[in-house]
Amino acid sequence: MRVGEVMRRLVPPGSYVLILFFLTGIWLTISPFAMTTQPSGQHWIASTVTNVTIGGILMVVSLLGILSFMGFALRDLIRETQTRQLAEQAEREEAAQAGL
Amino acid sequence: MSVTRPSLSKYVCGMVASLVIFLAGGWLILAPFALGYQLYGADWVSQTTNDFVVGICVAVVALISFALFFFSLLGSLRASGVIAARSRPQAVPAPVETAPPAMAAPAAASNQSDLDRTLATLAQALAADLNARRQTSGDAQTNQLTEQHITNRRDA
Repeated sequence: MRVGEVMRRLVPPGSYVLILFFLTGIWLTISPFAMTTQPSGQHWIASTVTNVTIGGILMVVSLLGILSFMGFALRDLIRETQTRQLAEQAEREEAAQAGL
Repeated sequence: MSVTRPSLSKYVCGMVASLVIFLAGGWLILAPFALGYQLYGADWVSQTTNDFVVGICVAVVALISFALFFFSLLGSLRASGVIAARSRPQAVPAPVETAPPAMAAPAAASNQSDLDRTLATLAQALAADLNARRQTSGDAQTNQLTEQHITNRRDA
């Protein structure tokens, strides 16, 4: 199997969207400070708490989604390869027995 | 023969992540009003605008992501044979259109050769009959001309 095909199976279109969510989570986390809606040196206001919390959730969930998908896809690939190798080995043994 | 096993867990992970992110987007839309930092009837403050815009984008894209994972799951199930493959109405007539000429070509050729043979036999019979008729009519004409000639000479 080629590297491109492996990457296509490991990173489907949905995972690109999850990467986008990860970037959105970063923006949400830093937006109160970037937009200076959070006064410096004071306790966090409600909007800051919300944005940081939701941003963190977005980052964690999207990362978990991407990594778990890649993990499961990698496990499937390894299983397929093992099954193929076993089938090829069995065919080779059958051919050798038929040759004898 | 390799058997493709459907692995649902990876797609379910993606779908669950998309669903959680969709809920987060919905909360982002509602948060300014729920937490009260957006005053009712007043112009939207910058936090409200930011949260609302980002929340709508996140919710919509999360739905798209959910659909992508869902269709990937369907494709995997279809590839493994759990779901019957979608029948393509355009693909069915193509073999029907192409196969019969290929299959019917020898039959048509044999029918054509039989017909040719029959027609050839018929044509030979007709030709023989015509020749015979010509010969008989030619002899009769010759006899008639001779008799006419003789009678003309007698009259003269």
